[in-house]
Amino acid sequence: MLAVKGLKANVGGKEILRGLDFSVGPGEVHAIMGPNGSGKSTFAHVLSGREGYEVTAGSATFEGQDLLALEPEERAQLGLFLAFQYPVELPGVNNTYFLKAALNSILKARGQPELDAVSFLRLIKEKLKILHLDDSLLKRAVNAGFSGGEKKRNEIFQMALLEPKLAILDETDSGLDIDALRVVADGVNALRSPERSMIVVTHYQRLLDYIQPDHVHVLSKGRIIRSGGKELALELEEKGYGWIDAEGQAA
Amino acid sequence: MNGVISNGFESWLAAPPGQLAGAGLDWLDDQRRVARERVREQGVPTSKTEDWRYTSLKGLLEQNFAQVDEAITALQPDDLEDILIPGLDSHRVVLVNGRYAPELSVLGDLPKGVRLGGLRTLLDADPDALRDRLNRIAGDRQPLFLALNTAGLDDGFVALFDRAAILERPIELIHLSVGMDEPRVAQPRHLVVLGDGAQATLIERYVSLGESLYCTNSVLEIALGRDAVLQHDRIQMESANAFHLTGLYLSQDTNSRYRGVNIGLGARWARTELVTRFRGEQAECDLQGLYLAGDRQLMDYHLDVAHSVPRCTSRENFKGILYGKGRAVFDGLVAVARDAQKSDAAMSNRNLMLSESAEVDTKPQLEINADDVKCSHGTTVGRIEPEMLFYLRSRGISAPLARRMLCLGFAGEIIQTLSAEALREHVSERVGQRLESAPLN
Ligand SMILES: Nc1ncnc2c1ncn2[C@@H]1O[C@H](COP(=O)(O)OP(=O)(O)OP(=O)(O)O)[C@@H](O)[C@H]1O
Ligand SMILES: [Mg+2]
Repeated sequence: MLAVKGLKANVGGKEILRGLDFSVGPGEVHAIMGPNGSGKSTFAHVLSGREGYEVTAGSATFEGQDLLALEPEERAQLGLFLAFQYPVELPGVNNTYFLKAALNSILKARGQPELDAVSFLRLIKEKLKILHLDDSLLKRAVNAGFSGGEKKRNEIFQMALLEPKLAILDETDSGLDIDALRVVADGVNALRSPERSMIVVTHYQRLLDYIQPDHVHVLSKGRIIRSGGKELALELEEKGYGWIDAEGQAA
Repeated sequence: MNGVISNGFESWLAAPPGQLAGAGLDWLDDQRRVARERVREQGVPTSKTEDWRYTSLKGLLEQNFAQVDEAITALQPDDLEDILIPGLDSHRVVLVNGRYAPELSVLGDLPKGVRLGGLRTLLDADPDALRDRLNRIAGDRQPLFLALNTAGLDDGFVALFDRAAILERPIELIHLSVGMDEPRVAQPRHLVVLGDGAQATLIERYVSLGESLYCTNSVLEIALGRDAVLQHDRIQMESANAFHLTGLYLSQDTNSRYRGVNIGLGARWARTELVTRFRGEQAECDLQGLYLAGDRQLMDYHLDVAHSVPRCTSRENFKGILYGKGRAVFDGLVAVARDAQKSDAAMSNRNLMLSESAEVDTKPQLEINADDVKCSHGTTVGRIEPEMLFYLRSRGISAPLARRMLCLGFAGEIIQTLSAEALREHVSERVGQRLESAPLN
C-alpha cells in the first residue's frame, strides 16, 4: 500500500529526513516512536504533501502511484489522511460546511455521487456519536476556540467521515485526558479493517495499549533505527531511547 | 484649489430640461445655489488634496457624464426578477437612474407615523415636512461631490418616522441603474429621519441591469432622535464599468443606536464617505465594512467619526479582499473632542491580499483630545495562511475551493452583521462568485 525508499528531505536547508525506508501493507497498523525533533511530523507532512519540504532523494509510492508527484488534495482523494499533531484553526469557516466540502470533493474525485444535505447530516450525526462529540461543534468554525482535546477528537471525527485507506495519526493522544483517550482509541479501533492501514505516531505506550500495533519503529535523526513488534514499545517505555542510540552506535 | 471656473463637472451642473423638484421654494433654491457656488469655488481635488491623496479622479474626469434627463418608464415589475433577493420580505422602494419609480415600488402597509417614498413626490405634496430636515445634516462647507449632489438636488428616497414609530419589516431601497446611449450621472438624494424612540431596518442596494458605464453620486442624510435604532445594510453591486460615489451623513441624538454594514462588491471605481456626528450622550455607532477589490477595481473608504460629546461608543470594523491589480483605500478618522470623556472607539482595518499586484493604502487615525477615553485602532495586511490552505487541501479540497472557503471565512465576520438571513446568503453567494472568477495570483 505504502512504500517509502531512501527518503531524504530538507526543511529550511537542513536535512531532517536522512534516508528513510518504510512500508505499510493493507490493514496493518504501524507505530512510529522517537525523540522530539527526530522527524516524525516531518515525515507525516512530506507524505501528505505540505509545502516547504524539499525531497532530495528517495521515493514514496501509495497504491501504486508516485505519491510525491501529487498535490495534497490528490493524495487525500486517493485515500491518505493526516490527523495533525497541531490541528489548524480556521476562523470563520463553518465546520459543517468544511466537512461537506471535504467529503464531496473526495467523492467527486472518485467519480462517486456527492451527498445531498439530508444524507450528509444523517451520516455526520452517526459519526459524531462514535466520538462522543457534541453537535454544537458542527455550528462552530473549524477548530476555532476548540480545546486541545476537542481538536484531536475532531481530527479523528474527520477521519471517521472521510474513511481513508491510510491514516497517519500524529500524536493524536497528546493533550487528551484519560477518558478522551479511550474514546479516541475506540473510534480508531472501530475504523480498523483488513483494508485500512494506519501509522500511529506517539510517545506513549498507553495509546498502544488501546490501539495494538502490528509493528513498532523508532525514528531517530531522520532514520528508522529499530523496528520490531509491539513488545519494542514496552521496552522503550522502560529504557528510553538512549539504549538504542547507544546500541546503534556500537553496531 | 485655484478658483477654476470650469472644473470638469460643468455637465453635472447643467440645468436639466424641465424644473428641478420644488423649484420656487426659496429655501431649496437657495440651498442649490449655495452648493453650485461651493462646487465652483473648490475646483477639482488633486493628489495634493488631503482627502484625495490615494485616489485619482482622472478616470472619472475622462468621462463626459451627462445628467440623467428623462425618467425610464419602460421597466416592468418583471424586469426586477433577477434583482430581488429570494426570501427577503420588505417595504420596497425602487429608484431607476436616481428617480423614484412608483410603478416598481411596493411600499406595503405602513403603520401610522411612517412615511416612505420618493423625495420629489414629497417635495410636491408637503415641502414643509422637509424644510428643516433636508440638507441640514450635511452642513454648509460641503466637499465637492456632496455639493454637486446638493446643487442638482431633485429626487431620491425619503423615510420619515414619527416619535416611537416602529417598522417590523425592513425597508429595501433598490437603486437600479440602466445603461443609456451615452454615459449618464445620477445624483439621488436620500433622507432618513427617525424620531425619538423610532426603530427601523434599511437595506440599501445599488444594482444595475447590464454592465454599462455610468456614474452614481448618491448622498444620504440620516438623523436619529433620542433612543432611535437603525440597522442599515448597504450593498453596492454596481456594474463592473460604473463609477460609484456615496456620502452618508449621520447625526445621532442621545442613546440612539446605528449599525451600518457596508458591502462593496461592484463598480470599477467606488468611493464611500461615512460621516458621523454624535449630538447626545450614550449613542452608539457601529460601522462594519467588507469590500472586494478585483482586477483594476478601486474601493475607497473614508470615515469621519466625531466624538464631540461624552460617553458615546463607535466601532469601525472594515475588511477587504483584494486580488489582481485591485486597489483599496481605507482612510478612517476618529476624533475625540476635549470634553468627550468616556468615549469608547475601536477602529480596525484588515486586508487579505490574494495577489502580489494588489495594493491597499490604509490610514486609521485617532485624534484624541480627552484624557479619560478607551480608543484603539489596528490594521493588518496579510495573505492566506499556508497552513490553513494545507489543512483544507489535506482533506481533499482543491486549492481554488480552499482559497475561496478561507476568503469567505474572513468575510463572514462582516456578512453575519447583515440584518437578514436571506441577505447574508445573497451576499455570501455573490462574494463566492466573484472569488470564483478571480485569478489565483
Ligand atoms: N520550517 C522549519 N524550519 C526549520 N526547521 C524545521 C522546520 N520544521 C521543522 N524543523 C525541524 O525539523 C526537526 C524535526 O521536526 P519534527 O516536527 O518532524 O519532529 P518530531 O519528531 O515530530 O518531534 P516531536 O516529537 O516534538 O513532535 C526539528 O529539529 C525541527 O526544529
Ligand atoms: Mg511531531
